[in-house]
Amino acid sequence: MKKKNMRLDNLTAYTMLIPIVVLLTIFVIIPFVYALIVSFYDWSFYQESKFVGWQNFVNVLNDPLFMKAVVTGLKFSLFVVPAQMILAFLFAHVIRSMGSKLSGFVKTSIYIPTIISGIIASIIFVFIFDYNAGLANVIVNWFGVENQAWLADVKTALPSIALPAIWLGFGITSLIMLAGLLDIPDSYYEAADLEGAGPWTKMIHITIPLLKNVVLYLLITGFTGAIQQFELSLVMTGGGPLNETTTPNLYIFNHFRNDVLVGHSIASALLLFVVLGSISAIIFKVLNSEKAVDG
Amino acid sequence: MQANRGKVLTGVLAAAMTFSFVLSGCGNSGSNEGNANNQGSTNEATNNGNAGEKPAEKVTIEFWAQKFEDTTDAWFKKWTDEFNKSQDNVQVKLTIVPGDAWTQKLKAAQAAGKAPDVMTRNYSGIAPGAKNGEIMALNDYMDPAVFDDLYDNVKEFITVDGKYYAYPKLVEPSAVLYYRKDLFEAAGLDPEKPPVTWAEFIEYGKKLTQKGIFGASIAQTAPDLGWSSWGLQYNAAGHLPITDDWSKADVMDDKYKELLNFYATLYKEGIIPKQQLSAYADAAPFGQGKLAMTVSGSWSIGLFRNDYKDMLDKIGVAPMPSIDGDQTKPTATLGGWTLVIDGKSKKPEAAAQYIQYLLAGDPAIMIDFFKTSQFSKFSPRKSVDEAMNQDPAASADEWRKLIAEKVIPYAKAEPAYPWDISIAFATAIESAMKGESVDKALATAEKTINDFIAKSKLAGTNPQ
Repeated sequence: MKKKNMRLDNLTAYTMLIPIVVLLTIFVIIPFVYALIVSFYDWSFYQESKFVGWQNFVNVLNDPLFMKAVVTGLKFSLFVVPAQMILAFLFAHVIRSMGSKLSGFVKTSIYIPTIISGIIASIIFVFIFDYNAGLANVIVNWFGVENQAWLADVKTALPSIALPAIWLGFGITSLIMLAGLLDIPDSYYEAADLEGAGPWTKMIHITIPLLKNVVLYLLITGFTGAIQQFELSLVMTGGGPLNETTTPNLYIFNHFRNDVLVGHSIASALLLFVVLGSISAIIFKVLNSEKAVDG
Repeated sequence: MQANRGKVLTGVLAAAMTFSFVLSGCGNSGSNEGNANNQGSTNEATNNGNAGEKPAEKVTIEFWAQKFEDTTDAWFKKWTDEFNKSQDNVQVKLTIVPGDAWTQKLKAAQAAGKAPDVMTRNYSGIAPGAKNGEIMALNDYMDPAVFDDLYDNVKEFITVDGKYYAYPKLVEPSAVLYYRKDLFEAAGLDPEKPPVTWAEFIEYGKKLTQKGIFGASIAQTAPDLGWSSWGLQYNAAGHLPITDDWSKADVMDDKYKELLNFYATLYKEGIIPKQQLSAYADAAPFGQGKLAMTVSGSWSIGLFRNDYKDMLDKIGVAPMPSIDGDQTKPTATLGGWTLVIDGKSKKPEAAAQYIQYLLAGDPAIMIDFFKTSQFSKFSPRKSVDEAMNQDPAASADEWRKLIAEKVIPYAKAEPAYPWDISIAFATAIESAMKGESVDKALATAEKTINDFIAKSKLAGTNPQ
């Protein structure tokens, strides 16, 4: 009896898996294999493609701009992800302590940036960072500071682009964090209260450890998302000044746009895949995620 | 064991996740494409339906035009309709594609072998396209006489290995100086004497800078400098930063140092804004009164005449200043647009018939275009210019005359080498502006260009 049930379970499970397996095969596995193949060619749409071995990869790795783009992507994520996480953590706490009506309103409000397209946000922030009359310069003028070239100065360009990225991702990060917080049983805190633990101790010993999986998820999605940021620098700076804001995806896009042969773009995309995979692996390793501790 | 399996699983999960993110990047470009499709308007068959006439089997060809000014789009639509009505053999389906979606959409179509039969292409794309087989030689499909109508320098732009690969629609010089006569007077300068040397441009710029108004504006980011500084590269050194056979960089030239210093001085002295008010091609800030002088292409005339009518009396137009004041040296390249036939088109005859009708046929069609563009663009055809000179509005236009006589004759063709070369030199200009020493900036550019030549086996491949 038991055995039969299990087989039925398996059948159900496999049936449910079929759609995603089919979709993944069509949209992920086949294109991936195809991309791997063409990355070894001087791929042209009009002439016989030439096999060039590892040449495309060698070219990409020898291109100082590619390495710079990867570093830019990492720097950008280091601006965006920690800031977003800390803000979201604090904000989620605030929302948790609110009444249900007010918290509903706040949750909706902070979610709005998430549904705004990155392009629209970029344009709004281009106005904010306008040299002549942008909001940012008006504000620094109050403090007697002269106009800043936010998007054209090598020092400020990347942080200026990170700001809209934080703003865009803040809402969804807070909501996920909030869900994680609400998932922690109140009894733990009550027990801690009985033991006389203060708010700080509770945060360090209860909240943060139990949020580990949520944090892990947010870190992985945050990092992979931020390194692949593309439209903000495309619209706001075009990758400048002096390639300071050329993220890896923008680098790939520029090659895709300008190159006659497409092999270079594909090789760099595959190398970016390797970079992202390694970063995710490192995060997993460092946080050493197991199954949820509370069970 | 259990823990191990967990790790493997999470590893796989991580891979799958990153993968889906990589993919979602691709998905975006796909959806752009969809938008482009929706935005692009298609002109469907408008059968004039004469009763009793046998319904002819029309050959349908696809035509993608990049989105330009609204007037240009309207012109394409109007005359494509006229063409479809004028004969029974060919039906042209026009799609207007926004500029930012153009490359993705076209590349995707090319990869799928579904590129349009006819498309717009700029001059610098012709030689590489011809070399790569992306576009077709037109000699066999068009009347040879229509090519005789072209000015000789423009004919060179479309010729690769002795064959014509495009038919030009217009030329427009990439750099013209616009200045505010009223602000010149207020600063004690003669409004009829715009600067002719770079030194004067800097000097006037300093005098014209005041609170809220910058003395000048010129390209200042590498992507803009990449193409807009070609003319000044010629102006300074008489050559581009690469040898004619494309075998090595030709950057170490004292004149290029002067060029970099010119840009760097403008930037460091605060004559141009520290952060550009708009891209080089968009002269709107000048129209809005935020600049005393601006360097932009001839197309900006159309912008001023359409959108800033009350400014027109105050605007002066002059050739871009030259390194030493010699105004017969090139200061601009002639950019512009052509129509080409896709290398894999199955209906080249029909496509050529359309191109010939639209660009090489009745001069009235092209005159209609130059009128709607407010004479901010120029004809590559002698017959159109002759006809236009009969036209009172055109012949009385002083700005058109000035550009036609003082800028275009000395302007150069856009280089056909890959963009990487242009951006390498432009990066040198930008880094000099941002404080790098001129020598170091040029040395970096030289190395980048030489590396690129070696990597892409560029030596000896110049098609022109």
